[in-house]
Amino acid sequence: MSAAPLPTVFYTSHRVALLILSLLLMGVVLEMVRRSYLKEKYAILWLLASFSVLMCGVFPSIIIRFSAIFSFQYITLVFVVSFLFLLVLVLAFSISISKLSERTKQLAQEVALLNERLARVDSKPE
Amino acid sequence: MQKTSEIASSTPRVLVIVPAYNESETIRPVLEEVRRAAPGYDLLVVDDGSTDDTAKVVETVAGVILLRLPFNLGIGGCMQTGYKYALRHDYDIAVQCDADGQHPAEHLGALVARVVDGSADAVIGSRYVANSDYIPSLGRRLGKSLLSRWIDYWVGGGITDTTSGFRAFNRKAMALAAQDYPEDYPEPEMIVILHKHGLKAVEIPVSMRPRQGGTTSIFPHRAAYYMIKVFLAVFIDVFRRYK
Repeated sequence: MSAAPLPTVFYTSHRVALLILSLLLMGVVLEMVRRSYLKEKYAILWLLASFSVLMCGVFPSIIIRFSAIFSFQYITLVFVVSFLFLLVLVLAFSISISKLSERTKQLAQEVALLNERLARVDSKPE
Repeated sequence: MQKTSEIASSTPRVLVIVPAYNESETIRPVLEEVRRAAPGYDLLVVDDGSTDDTAKVVETVAGVILLRLPFNLGIGGCMQTGYKYALRHDYDIAVQCDADGQHPAEHLGALVARVVDGSADAVIGSRYVANSDYIPSLGRRLGKSLLSRWIDYWVGGGITDTTSGFRAFNRKAMALAAQDYPEDYPEPEMIVILHKHGLKAVEIPVSMRPRQGGTTSIFPHRAAYYMIKVFLAVFIDVFRRYK
């Protein structure tokens, strides 16, 4: 059985899905920043991601071209790229969580050490 | 035998660190026993965010220093707080002693003596060397013997009771622990870290009692999972890049 021929046209429904997804993501990210639920550092990352999706929706030839290079169906390429993006993102988050928990631990230890010292200072007669 | 670092003053300042997480049932007799057996040592309890009355009970024992962590850090972060205290308050020796009554205070002097004579940076009280009358279950013995061989294979040192939490550190070992103390399985991992930094750890026989109350943090049905994780943790410690 021979492989299905690689399509050269992009389904309009897929295109619409990409456009809606990217605009929705952009809107949510901007609103999160506005309400300061999201730090600018992470917002930029998500805005870049949603902008890339938007570009793919506007110019589907980008996807068609890349999928041809790897001999993928274009929908496979979309999933592979999204998967890799999420993989890197989750790894980066794990690293920052590790750093944060180390800092939290050190802070908790300092709080305990300082409280003990403070209690001793307070109990000393003037 | 090469001397590591001899304690200069004739009477070393010793701090006994007792990590405690929900040990209100057992901690008072432990503290009183240490008081009786070693009246010259200072006594520090690090309360690891207990949800019971541990801190209240400790406050009723006179002269005990109490550090209260704002939330539970686990045994690693808890002990490290104690080592930081010992380092900052210029103690010569810090001894870890569990709050559940497993570690008879009568052995404190022997642990400290081996550090004082300068023949080791860390002294571990072992249940398995001769003279010890502690008999654990077969499964536990097998697991611990495998772990001991695993650590010995990578870093040497021949420590048989690698999970013993009854140990004395000199200032070098204390400084290392204050800076970089493992969080997950601190007892076996710390042996590796000591060796990786060229510090000497030895063990001496001690008798241990079954825990006097509370619950162990290692449940039997999780033992296999514990073994896999601790083997991996030790392996990572062997190859970690240290600052």
